[in-house]
Amino acid sequence: MSDWEPKIVSFLCNWCSYGAADLAGVGRMQYPPNIRVVRIPCTGRMSPKFALAALREGADGVWVSG
Amino acid sequence: MDVYNSGLVQRKAIYVEYAQAVPLKYCIDPENCIYLTRGKCGNCAKVCPAGAIDYEQKEKELTLNVGSIVLAPGFKSFDPSKLDFYNYASHKNVVTALEFERILSASGPTMGHLARVSDKKEPKKIAWFQCVGSRDVNKCDNAYCSSVCCMYAIKEAAIAKEHAGNDLDCAIFYMDIRTHGKDFERYYDNAKDKGVRFVNSRIHSVLPVFGTDDLEVRYVDEAGKLITEVFDMIVLSTGFETPPEVVKLANDLDIDLTVGNFAKTSAFDPVATSREGIYICGSIAGPRDIPQSVVDSSAAASDAGEILSSARNSLTTVKEVVPETPVVGDPPKIGVFVCKCGINIAGVVDVEAVRDYAASLPYVEYVGDNLYSCSQDTQDAMADIIKSKNLNRVVVAACTPKTHEPLFQETLIGSGLNKYLFEMANIRNQDSWVHKNNPELATQKAMDLVRMAVSKVALMEPLEEAELEINQEALVIGGGIAGLTSSQSLAGQGYNVHLVEKSDVLGGQALNIYKTASGEYVQENLTALINKVESNEKIKVYLETEIVSTDGFVGNFRSILSTGGEEKNIEYGVSIVATGASALEPDEYNYKSDERVLTSLELDRRFINNDPELSKINSAAFIQCVGSREPDRPYCSRVCCTHSIENALELKKLNPEMNIYILYRDIRTFGEREYLYKQARQEGVIFIKYSVDNKPEVINRDGRLIINIVDHVLRLPVEIEVDLLTLATAILPPNNKKIAGFYKVPVNDDGMFVEKHAKLGPSEFATDGVFLCGLAHYPKPIEESVAQGKAAASRAITLLAKKKTNTIGTIAKIFSMNCSSCGVCISICPYSAPSYIEEGPFTGKAQINPVLCKGCGLCVASCRSGAINLKGFDNDQIFAQIYALKEAV
Amino acid sequence: MGIEPGRLHFSWVSSAEATKFVDVVKKVTSEVKALGPNKQFVKKKG
Repeated sequence: MSDWEPKIVSFLCNWCSYGAADLAGVGRMQYPPNIRVVRIPCTGRMSPKFALAALREGADGVWVSG
Repeated sequence: MDVYNSGLVQRKAIYVEYAQAVPLKYCIDPENCIYLTRGKCGNCAKVCPAGAIDYEQKEKELTLNVGSIVLAPGFKSFDPSKLDFYNYASHKNVVTALEFERILSASGPTMGHLARVSDKKEPKKIAWFQCVGSRDVNKCDNAYCSSVCCMYAIKEAAIAKEHAGNDLDCAIFYMDIRTHGKDFERYYDNAKDKGVRFVNSRIHSVLPVFGTDDLEVRYVDEAGKLITEVFDMIVLSTGFETPPEVVKLANDLDIDLTVGNFAKTSAFDPVATSREGIYICGSIAGPRDIPQSVVDSSAAASDAGEILSSARNSLTTVKEVVPETPVVGDPPKIGVFVCKCGINIAGVVDVEAVRDYAASLPYVEYVGDNLYSCSQDTQDAMADIIKSKNLNRVVVAACTPKTHEPLFQETLIGSGLNKYLFEMANIRNQDSWVHKNNPELATQKAMDLVRMAVSKVALMEPLEEAELEINQEALVIGGGIAGLTSSQSLAGQGYNVHLVEKSDVLGGQALNIYKTASGEYVQENLTALINKVESNEKIKVYLETEIVSTDGFVGNFRSILSTGGEEKNIEYGVSIVATGASALEPDEYNYKSDERVLTSLELDRRFINNDPELSKINSAAFIQCVGSREPDRPYCSRVCCTHSIENALELKKLNPEMNIYILYRDIRTFGEREYLYKQARQEGVIFIKYSVDNKPEVINRDGRLIINIVDHVLRLPVEIEVDLLTLATAILPPNNKKIAGFYKVPVNDDGMFVEKHAKLGPSEFATDGVFLCGLAHYPKPIEESVAQGKAAASRAITLLAKKKTNTIGTIAKIFSMNCSSCGVCISICPYSAPSYIEEGPFTGKAQINPVLCKGCGLCVASCRSGAINLKGFDNDQIFAQIYALKEAV
Repeated sequence: MGIEPGRLHFSWVSSAEATKFVDVVKKVTSEVKALGPNKQFVKKKG
């Protein structure tokens, strides 16, 4: 179990968290490679269906960030 | 010899300058071609199938009629071979900083692998020597500071450690560390934390170690001990020089130069030369870094444009529009381009594996990898591939869509594809850069991101954009030097300006300043500028006015202004934020309890008022970095060193017998300001260095004002009694949250606005139509505020001059058939884009105004009937990305 | 529905808050990791 790495689907707002994620890259800040980013125009676009679909498809976690 | 790689490798006599050169064409090196030098060979002409070789090409003379000239001839890096004590010419492992840049570069001679020149050994110890060819009148004639070398040396040391791992020992030998740019001090602090050593010493000579390729250095450390150290490599941080041919050009054009051979300018007209109509930008105006050069270039464009504004658009040609290939109904044919970004991506992610993996995905017709996808030649190659392979969808796996999507979309348009048939996979900013130590999982993540992008792009449809008029008026927020200059430039180019100032006077912080570093009187020049602005009928000034609210978007902003409670609506196309900053009011060094302790601006006020008491002073001191470069305010305020020295010299002028002490941490008189520092030392001003953990102490002993400090040369505590103590206080940004909220622009940890790009976009925001200048961007002297004021105006005019803009295509659309007329979308939309249809078969159902819609998707998620669809971020497309993950989990 | 609360996270990070972004990523990852693989809700394969 020790080498198991979770997959986390992240829905990031294009204007906020997605920008922060880019900036983290520019700053070469290191973080775990488990998130898979879906860029959404705004968290307003987020629908519970997306989170459920992600979990149904086997994602281990869902993170929505505005 | 390969000039681009600083002579570190050989090149052939027929060559391409460098991989990203525009145009990407071969040329012949006339000094080394044996046909041109000796009349033999001529092989290339025989083998070239295109018949492109022409030995007869000569220099051509062109005559152009122009209304203004902008000079941007650049600089030459100082040649250290004449300084024989550094052994640069005789020892391969002594390199210049530019040569070291090539060694670190992915496209350099070692492909970014850190290896020294002589034996390709990986160095374990590298030393940087600062001020080679700068701040030196003994060994060369360059008395000025080259301004950028401290920062680039720190950067090179940090990157070298990034490449070679943390056990690489990097030592920087310096006189003063000058990290006076935005966020530079933080970078310096981080480098110290990462273990880069900073040694306060100017190295006298370099000796080769017999029998090895190593180099020996001797220096005296801060405790006064003589130390001998051996390094594998030495990097000389060489300074700027105006090359002789540029000096000749300046003489031919009859423009005045300074003693350092830089163009002479006024602080109030920083990009204009002594000759009318000739402007300058970049390092001919003095040694400077990229952001300042970019500011200058925009400012020069503004000045040059101002005198030509009547001729605008009289010689333009219309761009040819490539007709769009219809793709609807065709099966997707996807091209995937994976970018290496030099080693930025390829250094971590296995790009070839990602590329080959992409080839296995459904509908993928073509895969390729690029060294730099954004370079012009790659763009052209991509366009050719799109056309020849009949691709109808494109995925680029590279950096972030936030900066590069428009560039690639332009390539799609040029290839006849609708720009929305495109998706980027962010495998740099959100992958290789942040998972450096985990190449395997980073590669896996890159594959996942590519798969997600491919499955989304397959569902993308061509989208249309609506055209929108741009309101031709501008709003300038802040009536200081920067805002006044911006208003003046905009009006000078024919645009109406609303200038809003919070206080009851125009002028801002400049009202408090006596003289500029160049010795010009501020008040006279400021009054002249204010008069010009106030008398300009295109500029409407609103004093004691604040902005109550703002809505709208680029080209069509609306704000409510409040003047003494009276409200007024204005409409405008662009906004310039020039909200300034103010001086810190210190609570240390007895400032509040002793009236002999002043801030810099209070001393200026006494000079402005010709205070007769000043000449009676016997002893004065200045304390630098009061509130700057401290743990809770870790930036340098940039102007204070120069300003204190300037005021020290003014005091000396009043009373040459006065004892003056400047207590400092690093003296940061960058560029030609260095002359003031030299002059101050010559005139007997005493400089005493202190460190942040051993600050001077100010006490009042029986009414006498005493400063206790440890002298850095004597290494003994000294006591100084003064009649006047001036504190060089930090420059503080105001609370910018409100303005930031109005225009959705970011503010950094220090409270200053964050520009679009730290290097290439210093005078604009990421939000379209909003621009930035002056102290609101970062502390800066008057000449830089003026330049940035002009630059912001110039950037704003590039938008205004278009007169029309396109809205985005990724907007919401309602299928009226499914709409239940519930009205949720209408009440929820922050932009008032949805409304009820008032006539026709769908009366009472909702519709969306494509011009107002910003594509946020709020209505889509809220629609209980599922009638709304967000183009480009449709349910199908987002689900496709989620489903694409299934394979991974 | 049997989904552990620790699997679903919401946060607000402004575009200038890179440090906060990284902190949240670390927190979310470690919490999800602690829960182990998601088995509750996954569509049965095959």
